[in-house]
Amino acid sequence: MSRFIIPKHLEVPLGAVLPAPVKEQPGMITGNWRTERPVIDHEACTTCLNCFIYCPDACWHLDEKTEQMVWNADYCKGCLICINECPANCLEPVNELEFPDGVVRLEKPF
Amino acid sequence: MSQEVYEVTIWARGVFQDMEGRHASLLMANAADLGGKFVQAWDDYADLPDRVGVPLRKYVRLSDEEIEMRFVYVNNNPNLVVIMDDTIVKGMNILRGMPKGGSLIVNTRRTPDEILAFIPNKELLANIVCVDASGIAADAAIDFMGSEGGVEVASVGAGISAPLVGAASKVCDMFDVKNVVKVAANKDGVQKGFDSAQVKAL
Ligand code: SF4
Ligand code: SF4
Repeated sequence: MSRFIIPKHLEVPLGAVLPAPVKEQPGMITGNWRTERPVIDHEACTTCLNCFIYCPDACWHLDEKTEQMVWNADYCKGCLICINECPANCLEPVNELEFPDGVVRLEKPF
Repeated sequence: MSQEVYEVTIWARGVFQDMEGRHASLLMANAADLGGKFVQAWDDYADLPDRVGVPLRKYVRLSDEEIEMRFVYVNNNPNLVVIMDDTIVKGMNILRGMPKGGSLIVNTRRTPDEILAFIPNKELLANIVCVDASGIAADAAIDFMGSEGGVEVASVGAGISAPLVGAASKVCDMFDVKNVVKVAANKDGVQKGFDSAQVKAL
């Protein structure tokens, strides 16, 4: 037992309760880094969630009602990692100016 | 502040256009310098170090008199805005601070009207110039030397900056296309950019 004694000054409470980061962070919009966006073919998508796991900006999630993947235009930075990781090949890069939506138009880059 | 100083803001994409953006600012400054103007050209310090695809700013100031705007490191009222990648128009308010009657140069395969659809404050513009600089400079080798403050006088203007600045000289009378050709590495590209630019007056 003696091996597990922690000196008093190093004691920390076991764990803490923090609010989960469930909301978006409007101070760090990355949507304007994008030159191409991934466009999904819902017919071919198997909802395997690879894109959800690999997206560095958590821009894909599964809508449980429609059972379709949903993409976030404000934060997708166009790295196209999801396309690389999609086993069903149902994502395709398309130039951003083909779409009228997804405009973030920030006043300053930082 | 008096508006005798002609301000240029260049928007480029981080990392893969960082050097080209800087070259565009150097080309304008060098060409205007040959024409006897007073010049300044520099990068936006706050935008660096850049990350892939992040919108970056590069600046130029051109004037007939000595430029006395010391310790001001951003162009708050650009008369000319250059966009090195057309998709930036969706992500930034690129005409912010522009005095009425400014010019916009865009590297794009699209037409001026297609670009204007993405610009809500287009009443500030006197004209817009679209040029397919990426297409013109496609065969020019792109390398990352000269990124992050390196100085490479011999190869300034080898890529997309050459046709873009050539096109810019169509609407900007602070530098002449002949002088841009003199200072750019890709002289053909400057001339092609000048010749193929689509100008639309507003
Ligand atoms: S990785 Fe491809 S198949 Fe899997 S959920 Fe994403 S889009 Fe659908
Ligand atoms: S392109 Fe990159 S940021 Fe956008 S959804 Fe795919 S993985 Fe995420």
